[in-house]
Amino acid sequence: MSRLPLKGLAPALAGTAVLVLAGVVSSAPAPKARTPVRPGKATSIAELSARYDSSSCVECHQEAHDQWARSVHSRSIFGTGRTAATFMTAIKNGLMDWPASGVKTPKDVKVEHLMACAKCHLPQLADSTDAVAQEIVTTIQEWQGAVEENDEARIEKAKKTLTSLNINCLVCHNRNAVIHKWTDGFPEKDTVYGAQDGEHADPKFPKMAQGKSLSESIFCGQCHGQGPNFEFPNPTQCATGYGSYLFAYIPEGGNKTCQECHMRDSGLGHDMQSYRSEVMAKKAVDMHVEAQGVFWRDNRELRPKATVRVELRNNTGHGLPDG
Amino acid sequence: MPVPQQLGRGNRMGRGPYEKSGLVQDSSLPPLRTVTSSFEIFFPFEEKENEDGDTVRTFPSDSLDIAVKLTYMPYGTPDDDAFVWREEKRTVKITAGK
Repeated sequence: MSRLPLKGLAPALAGTAVLVLAGVVSSAPAPKARTPVRPGKATSIAELSARYDSSSCVECHQEAHDQWARSVHSRSIFGTGRTAATFMTAIKNGLMDWPASGVKTPKDVKVEHLMACAKCHLPQLADSTDAVAQEIVTTIQEWQGAVEENDEARIEKAKKTLTSLNINCLVCHNRNAVIHKWTDGFPEKDTVYGAQDGEHADPKFPKMAQGKSLSESIFCGQCHGQGPNFEFPNPTQCATGYGSYLFAYIPEGGNKTCQECHMRDSGLGHDMQSYRSEVMAKKAVDMHVEAQGVFWRDNRELRPKATVRVELRNNTGHGLPDG
Repeated sequence: MPVPQQLGRGNRMGRGPYEKSGLVQDSSLPPLRTVTSSFEIFFPFEEKENEDGDTVRTFPSDSLDIAVKLTYMPYGTPDDDAFVWREEKRTVKITAGK
Protein backbone atom coordinates (compact mmCIF):
# COMPACT_ATOMS: atom_id res chain seq x y z
CA MET A 1 0.00 0.00 0.00
CA SER A 2 1.61 3.32 -1.01
CA ARG A 3 2.16 5.97 1.63
CA LEU A 4 -0.72 8.46 1.78
CA PRO A 5 0.50 12.09 1.68
CA LEU A 6 -1.18 12.94 4.95
CA LYS A 7 1.44 15.10 6.53
CA GLY A 8 0.99 18.17 4.34
CA LEU A 9 -2.78 18.29 4.81
CA ALA A 10 -4.52 20.67 7.23
CA PRO A 11 -6.07 19.05 10.31
CA ALA A 12 -9.56 19.69 8.86
CA LEU A 13 -8.85 17.09 6.19
CA ALA A 14 -7.73 14.41 8.64
CA GLY A 15 -11.23 12.95 8.81
CA THR A 16 -11.24 12.48 5.06
CA ALA A 17 -7.84 10.79 5.17
CA VAL A 18 -9.05 8.39 7.88
CA LEU A 19 -12.09 7.41 5.80
CA VAL A 20 -9.90 6.70 2.78
CA LEU A 21 -7.56 4.55 4.84
CA ALA A 22 -10.48 2.59 6.31
CA GLY A 23 -11.75 1.97 2.78
CA VAL A 24 -8.43 0.51 1.69
CA VAL A 25 -8.17 -1.82 4.71
CA SER A 26 -11.69 -3.20 4.36
CA SER A 27 -11.10 -4.27 0.77
CA ALA A 28 -8.32 -6.71 1.82
CA PRO A 29 -9.19 -10.26 2.96
CA ALA A 30 -9.81 -10.24 6.71
CA PRO A 31 -6.97 -11.98 8.61
CA LYS A 32 -8.00 -14.94 10.68
CA ALA A 33 -8.36 -14.22 14.36
CA ARG A 34 -5.61 -16.27 15.89
CA THR A 35 -4.83 -17.23 19.40
CA PRO A 36 -1.11 -16.54 19.88
CA VAL A 37 0.77 -19.82 20.08
CA ARG A 38 3.32 -19.68 22.85
CA PRO A 39 5.54 -22.62 23.74
CA GLY A 40 6.36 -23.15 27.41
CA LYS A 41 8.60 -20.53 28.94
CA ALA A 42 12.38 -20.78 28.67
CA THR A 43 14.06 -21.82 31.91
CA SER A 44 17.65 -20.80 31.19
CA ILE A 45 19.63 -18.29 29.15
CA ALA A 46 20.82 -21.12 26.94
CA GLU A 47 17.25 -22.23 26.28
CA LEU A 48 16.05 -18.71 25.58
CA SER A 49 19.00 -18.10 23.29
CA ALA A 50 18.30 -21.39 21.46
CA ARG A 51 14.65 -20.50 21.07
CA TYR A 52 15.67 -17.31 19.34
CA ASP A 53 18.53 -18.82 17.41
CA SER A 54 18.81 -16.94 14.14
CA SER A 55 21.79 -18.85 12.80
CA SER A 56 19.69 -20.49 10.09
CA CYS A 57 19.04 -17.06 8.62
CA VAL A 58 22.70 -16.46 7.91
CA GLU A 59 22.96 -18.91 5.03
CA CYS A 60 20.80 -16.74 2.79
CA HIS A 61 21.00 -13.39 4.58
CA GLN A 62 24.74 -13.18 5.24
CA GLU A 63 25.05 -9.50 4.42
CA ALA A 64 22.15 -8.48 6.65
CA HIS A 65 23.55 -10.67 9.42
CA ASP A 66 27.03 -9.19 9.15
CA GLN A 67 25.59 -5.67 9.21
CA TRP A 68 23.45 -6.51 12.24
CA ALA A 69 26.45 -8.00 14.04
CA ARG A 70 28.13 -4.59 13.95
CA SER A 71 25.15 -2.86 15.59
CA VAL A 72 24.33 -2.74 19.29
CA HIS A 73 21.13 -4.68 18.55
CA SER A 74 23.45 -7.67 18.41
CA ARG A 75 24.46 -7.17 22.06
CA SER A 76 21.45 -5.45 23.53
CA ILE A 77 21.95 -6.68 27.09
CA PHE A 78 25.71 -6.15 27.21
CA GLY A 79 26.06 -3.12 24.92
CA THR A 80 29.46 -1.55 25.39
CA GLY A 81 29.50 -2.90 28.94
CA ARG A 82 27.57 0.16 30.03
CA THR A 83 24.22 -1.49 29.35
CA ALA A 84 24.97 -4.50 31.52
CA ALA A 85 26.24 -2.21 34.26
CA THR A 86 23.07 -0.13 34.06
CA PHE A 87 20.95 -3.24 34.60
CA MET A 88 22.71 -3.67 37.94
CA THR A 89 22.40 0.02 38.77
CA ALA A 90 18.67 -0.20 38.11
CA ILE A 91 18.50 -3.12 40.55
CA LYS A 92 20.65 -1.63 43.30
CA ASN A 93 19.68 2.04 43.09
CA GLY A 94 16.12 1.45 41.94
CA LEU A 95 14.47 -1.85 42.76
CA MET A 96 16.28 -2.43 46.04
CA ASP A 97 15.54 1.14 47.10
CA TRP A 98 11.81 1.01 46.43
CA PRO A 99 9.86 -0.30 49.41
CA ALA A 100 7.05 -1.86 47.35
CA SER A 101 9.11 -3.54 44.66
CA GLY A 102 9.54 -6.83 46.51
CA VAL A 103 13.29 -6.72 45.83
CA LYS A 104 15.54 -6.63 48.89
CA THR A 105 18.55 -8.27 47.25
CA PRO A 106 19.44 -9.12 43.64
CA LYS A 107 18.27 -12.66 44.40
CA ASP A 108 14.68 -11.37 44.55
CA VAL A 109 14.74 -10.08 40.97
CA LYS A 110 12.17 -11.66 38.69
CA VAL A 111 11.16 -11.25 35.05
CA GLU A 112 8.60 -8.59 36.00
CA HIS A 113 11.37 -6.48 37.55
CA LEU A 114 13.66 -6.75 34.55
CA MET A 115 10.93 -6.14 31.96
CA ALA A 116 11.21 -2.39 32.52
CA CYS A 117 14.58 -2.68 30.80
CA ALA A 118 13.93 -5.84 28.83
CA LYS A 119 10.84 -4.47 27.11
CA CYS A 120 13.33 -3.01 24.66
CA HIS A 121 16.67 -4.61 25.47
CA LEU A 122 15.34 -8.19 25.45
CA PRO A 123 11.59 -8.39 24.76
CA GLN A 124 11.77 -12.17 24.55
CA LEU A 125 12.49 -12.24 28.29
CA ALA A 126 8.70 -12.13 28.63
CA ASP A 127 8.78 -15.71 27.31
CA SER A 128 11.00 -16.86 30.19
CA THR A 129 10.68 -18.03 33.76
CA ASP A 130 12.11 -16.08 36.65
CA ALA A 131 15.10 -18.44 36.57
CA VAL A 132 16.29 -16.67 33.42
CA ALA A 133 15.97 -13.28 35.09
CA GLN A 134 18.09 -14.58 37.95
CA GLU A 135 20.65 -16.05 35.59
CA ILE A 136 20.97 -12.72 33.80
CA VAL A 137 21.51 -10.94 37.10
CA THR A 138 24.11 -13.42 38.36
CA THR A 139 25.92 -13.40 35.02
CA ILE A 140 26.17 -9.61 35.04
CA GLN A 141 27.45 -9.79 38.63
CA GLU A 142 29.97 -12.40 37.57
CA TRP A 143 31.09 -10.17 34.70
CA GLN A 144 31.48 -7.16 36.99
CA GLY A 145 33.43 -9.22 39.50
CA ALA A 146 35.67 -10.54 36.75
CA VAL A 147 36.34 -7.00 35.52
CA GLU A 148 37.30 -5.88 39.02
CA GLU A 149 39.70 -8.80 39.33
CA ASN A 150 40.93 -8.37 35.77
CA ASP A 151 40.23 -12.03 35.03
CA GLU A 152 40.10 -12.10 31.23
CA ALA A 153 38.86 -15.66 30.93
CA ARG A 154 35.89 -15.04 33.25
CA ILE A 155 35.21 -11.69 31.56
CA GLU A 156 34.97 -13.32 28.15
CA LYS A 157 32.84 -16.21 29.42
CA ALA A 158 30.32 -13.89 31.06
CA LYS A 159 30.34 -11.56 28.09
CA LYS A 160 29.70 -14.49 25.73
CA THR A 161 26.69 -15.55 27.78
CA LEU A 162 25.26 -12.05 27.91
CA THR A 163 25.81 -11.36 24.23
CA SER A 164 23.97 -14.55 23.31
CA LEU A 165 20.86 -12.59 24.24
CA ASN A 166 20.06 -9.87 21.76
CA ILE A 167 17.62 -8.25 19.35
CA ASN A 168 18.17 -10.60 16.45
CA CYS A 169 16.36 -11.58 13.28
CA LEU A 170 13.60 -13.47 15.07
CA VAL A 171 12.75 -10.60 17.38
CA CYS A 172 12.12 -8.06 14.60
CA HIS A 173 11.06 -10.44 11.85
CA ASN A 174 8.87 -12.70 13.95
CA ARG A 175 8.13 -11.99 17.60
CA ASN A 176 7.74 -8.22 17.33
CA ALA A 177 6.95 -8.06 13.62
CA VAL A 178 3.25 -7.35 13.95
CA ILE A 179 2.16 -4.28 15.83
CA HIS A 180 -1.59 -4.19 15.13
CA LYS A 181 -2.40 -7.78 15.97
CA TRP A 182 -6.17 -7.48 15.85
CA THR A 183 -5.87 -5.95 12.38
CA ASP A 184 -3.14 -8.13 10.91
CA GLY A 185 -3.22 -11.25 13.05
CA PHE A 186 -0.75 -12.46 15.67
CA PRO A 187 2.75 -13.50 14.53
CA GLU A 188 2.80 -17.13 13.43
CA LYS A 189 5.64 -19.22 14.82
CA ASP A 190 6.47 -20.72 11.39
CA THR A 191 6.55 -17.40 9.55
CA VAL A 192 9.16 -14.71 9.02
CA TYR A 193 7.84 -11.26 8.29
CA GLY A 194 9.47 -9.06 5.71
CA ALA A 195 8.81 -7.50 2.38
CA GLN A 196 6.53 -10.05 0.77
CA ASP A 197 4.29 -13.09 1.11
CA GLY A 198 5.27 -16.53 -0.09
CA GLU A 199 7.32 -19.60 0.63
CA HIS A 200 10.52 -19.29 2.61
CA ALA A 201 13.49 -21.62 2.25
CA ASP A 202 14.01 -22.43 5.92
CA PRO A 203 12.50 -25.61 7.40
CA LYS A 204 11.95 -23.82 10.73
CA PHE A 205 10.19 -20.93 9.03
CA PRO A 206 8.68 -22.25 5.81
CA LYS A 207 6.49 -19.22 5.24
CA MET A 208 7.12 -15.57 4.77
CA ALA A 209 4.56 -12.82 5.08
CA GLN A 210 4.57 -9.11 4.52
CA GLY A 211 5.24 -7.22 7.72
CA LYS A 212 3.13 -4.17 7.16
CA SER A 213 4.85 -2.05 9.79
CA LEU A 214 8.42 -3.20 9.26
CA SER A 215 9.38 -0.30 7.03
CA GLU A 216 7.45 2.27 9.06
CA SER A 217 8.78 4.40 11.89
CA ILE A 218 6.18 3.00 14.27
CA PHE A 219 8.09 -0.29 14.10
CA CYS A 220 11.19 1.30 15.60
CA GLY A 221 8.95 3.28 17.94
CA GLN A 222 8.10 0.04 19.78
CA CYS A 223 11.39 0.46 21.60
CA HIS A 224 12.83 3.84 20.66
CA GLY A 225 9.89 5.22 22.55
CA GLN A 226 7.87 8.17 23.56
CA GLY A 227 8.72 8.62 27.21
CA PRO A 228 7.51 6.81 30.33
CA ASN A 229 6.34 3.24 29.84
CA PHE A 230 3.11 3.50 31.79
CA GLU A 231 2.26 -0.17 31.52
CA PHE A 232 4.80 -0.96 34.27
CA PRO A 233 4.09 -0.65 38.01
CA ASN A 234 7.07 1.76 38.13
CA PRO A 235 7.25 3.41 34.71
CA THR A 236 10.74 3.72 33.30
CA GLN A 237 11.94 5.81 30.44
CA CYS A 238 15.01 5.30 28.34
CA ALA A 239 14.06 6.35 24.88
CA THR A 240 12.15 9.38 23.69
CA GLY A 241 13.31 9.39 20.06
CA TYR A 242 10.04 8.23 18.55
CA GLY A 243 8.18 10.82 20.58
CA SER A 244 10.53 13.50 19.27
CA TYR A 245 9.95 12.12 15.76
CA LEU A 246 6.18 12.31 16.12
CA PHE A 247 5.85 15.61 17.97
CA ALA A 248 8.81 17.66 16.73
CA TYR A 249 10.05 16.27 13.41
CA ILE A 250 6.70 15.58 11.74
CA PRO A 251 5.19 18.96 12.76
CA GLU A 252 8.28 20.64 11.33
CA GLY A 253 7.42 19.07 7.97
CA GLY A 254 9.63 15.99 8.15
CA ASN A 255 8.48 12.99 6.15
CA LYS A 256 11.21 10.38 6.26
CA THR A 257 11.03 7.17 8.24
CA CYS A 258 13.64 5.94 10.68
CA GLN A 259 14.47 3.17 8.25
CA GLU A 260 15.05 5.56 5.37
CA CYS A 261 17.74 7.47 7.26
CA HIS A 262 19.27 4.77 9.45
CA MET A 263 19.22 1.90 6.96
CA ARG A 264 18.77 3.02 3.38
CA ASP A 265 20.21 6.53 2.98
CA SER A 266 23.10 5.76 5.30
CA GLY A 267 23.98 2.67 3.27
CA LEU A 268 24.40 0.85 6.57
CA GLY A 269 21.45 -1.52 6.17
CA HIS A 270 20.93 -3.57 9.31
CA ASP A 271 23.90 -1.90 10.96
CA MET A 272 21.71 0.80 12.48
CA GLN A 273 23.99 3.33 14.09
CA SER A 274 23.80 6.59 15.96
CA TYR A 275 26.26 9.17 17.24
CA ARG A 276 29.35 6.99 17.16
CA SER A 277 29.07 6.42 13.43
CA GLU A 278 30.95 8.85 11.22
CA VAL A 279 28.38 8.24 8.49
CA MET A 280 25.45 9.14 10.72
CA ALA A 281 27.24 12.04 12.42
CA LYS A 282 28.03 13.60 9.07
CA LYS A 283 24.40 13.32 7.95
CA ALA A 284 22.99 14.44 11.26
CA VAL A 285 24.36 17.93 11.70
CA ASP A 286 25.49 20.78 9.51
CA MET A 287 27.88 23.05 11.36
CA HIS A 288 28.83 26.47 10.05
CA VAL A 289 31.40 28.61 11.86
CA GLU A 290 32.25 32.24 11.32
CA ALA A 291 34.82 34.13 13.33
CA GLN A 292 36.02 37.71 13.24
CA GLY A 293 38.16 39.96 15.37
CA VAL A 294 37.17 43.36 16.70
CA PHE A 295 38.65 45.85 19.11
CA TRP A 296 36.27 46.24 22.01
CA ARG A 297 36.56 49.32 24.16
CA ASP A 298 36.00 49.05 27.89
CA ASN A 299 36.06 52.16 30.06
CA ARG A 300 39.77 52.74 29.62
CA GLU A 301 41.23 50.97 26.62
CA LEU A 302 40.79 48.94 23.51
CA ARG A 303 40.90 45.16 23.86
CA PRO A 304 40.95 42.78 20.94
CA LYS A 305 38.48 39.97 20.97
CA ALA A 306 37.23 37.25 18.66
CA THR A 307 33.54 36.82 18.04
CA VAL A 308 32.64 33.29 16.99
CA ARG A 309 29.23 32.49 15.55
CA VAL A 310 28.24 28.83 15.31
CA GLU A 311 25.19 27.62 13.41
CA LEU A 312 24.05 24.06 13.96
CA ARG A 313 21.30 22.56 11.85
CA ASN A 314 19.80 19.25 12.92
CA ASN A 315 18.98 17.22 9.83
CA THR A 316 17.73 14.17 11.70
CA GLY A 317 14.23 12.96 12.39
CA HIS A 318 14.40 13.67 16.11
CA GLY A 319 16.03 15.92 18.65
CA LEU A 320 19.79 15.65 18.86
CA PRO A 321 20.91 13.98 20.97
CA ASP A 322 18.01 11.60 21.48
CA GLY A 323 17.38 8.00 20.69
CA MET B 1 19.49 16.33 25.21
CA PRO B 2 16.06 15.68 26.63
CA VAL B 3 16.68 16.19 30.35
CA PRO B 4 14.62 13.53 32.12
CA GLN B 5 12.56 14.31 35.18
CA GLN B 6 13.24 12.24 38.27
CA LEU B 7 10.24 9.96 38.87
CA GLY B 8 7.98 12.42 37.08
CA ARG B 9 7.96 14.96 39.90
CA GLY B 10 9.68 18.22 40.80
CA ASN B 11 12.53 19.92 39.03
CA ARG B 12 15.28 17.35 39.52
CA MET B 13 16.93 15.47 36.71
CA GLY B 14 16.73 11.69 36.84
CA ARG B 15 19.80 9.66 35.92
CA GLY B 16 19.31 6.02 35.17
CA PRO B 17 16.31 4.59 33.32
CA TYR B 18 14.73 3.35 36.53
CA GLU B 19 14.08 6.86 37.79
CA LYS B 20 13.50 8.73 34.55
CA SER B 21 9.90 9.69 33.86
CA GLY B 22 9.01 12.80 31.88
CA LEU B 23 11.21 15.79 31.05
CA VAL B 24 12.27 18.90 32.97
CA GLN B 25 14.05 20.49 30.04
CA ASP B 26 15.07 19.73 26.49
CA SER B 27 18.36 21.18 25.39
CA SER B 28 18.65 19.02 22.29
CA LEU B 29 18.89 20.51 18.84
CA PRO B 30 15.33 20.44 17.49
CA PRO B 31 14.86 18.52 14.24
CA LEU B 32 15.00 20.44 10.98
CA ARG B 33 15.91 23.67 12.75
CA THR B 34 19.06 25.78 12.96
CA VAL B 35 20.36 26.88 16.33
CA THR B 36 22.84 29.77 16.46
CA SER B 37 25.25 30.45 19.29
CA SER B 38 27.76 33.29 19.66
CA PHE B 39 30.93 33.25 21.71
CA GLU B 40 33.22 36.11 22.61
CA ILE B 41 36.85 35.38 23.38
CA PHE B 42 39.20 38.14 24.47
CA PHE B 43 42.76 37.92 23.29
CA PRO B 44 45.21 36.99 26.06
CA PHE B 45 47.17 39.88 27.47
CA GLU B 46 50.06 40.65 29.81
CA GLU B 47 50.17 43.42 32.34
CA LYS B 48 53.34 45.21 33.33
CA GLU B 49 54.47 48.49 34.71
CA ASN B 50 55.83 51.05 32.36
CA GLU B 51 58.56 53.56 33.21
CA ASP B 52 55.94 55.92 34.62
CA GLY B 53 54.77 53.28 37.09
CA ASP B 54 51.46 52.75 35.30
CA THR B 55 50.17 49.28 34.61
CA VAL B 56 49.68 48.71 30.93
CA ARG B 57 48.41 45.83 28.94
CA THR B 58 50.17 44.33 26.00
CA PHE B 59 48.90 41.64 23.69
CA PRO B 60 51.56 39.03 22.90
CA SER B 61 49.96 38.02 19.65
CA ASP B 62 47.79 39.63 17.04
CA SER B 63 46.19 36.34 16.09
CA LEU B 64 44.10 33.79 17.95
CA ASP B 65 43.64 30.16 16.93
CA ILE B 66 40.15 28.98 17.70
CA ALA B 67 38.90 25.39 17.68
CA VAL B 68 35.16 24.80 17.73
CA LYS B 69 34.22 21.29 18.78
CA LEU B 70 30.73 19.87 18.78
CA THR B 71 30.90 17.22 21.48
CA TYR B 72 28.32 14.83 22.81
CA MET B 73 28.88 14.28 26.51
CA PRO B 74 26.62 11.50 27.79
CA TYR B 75 27.30 12.45 31.39
CA GLY B 76 27.55 16.17 30.79
CA THR B 77 31.31 16.17 31.40
CA PRO B 78 34.23 15.88 28.99
CA ASP B 79 35.19 12.42 30.25
CA ASP B 80 36.10 9.22 28.41
CA ASP B 81 32.56 8.84 27.11
CA ALA B 82 32.56 12.25 25.44
CA PHE B 83 32.42 11.98 21.68
CA VAL B 84 33.52 14.73 19.29
CA TRP B 85 31.18 15.03 16.33
CA ARG B 86 32.63 17.96 14.53
CA GLU B 87 35.68 20.15 14.82
CA GLU B 88 36.47 23.28 12.89
CA LYS B 89 39.37 25.65 13.29
CA ARG B 90 39.61 29.32 12.56
CA THR B 91 42.36 31.86 13.00
CA VAL B 92 41.33 35.38 13.86
CA LYS B 93 43.84 38.13 13.16
CA ILE B 94 43.56 41.54 14.62
CA THR B 95 45.42 44.52 13.29
CA ALA B 96 45.64 47.90 14.98
CA GLY B 97 43.21 50.25 13.31
CA LYS B 98 42.87 53.96 13.48
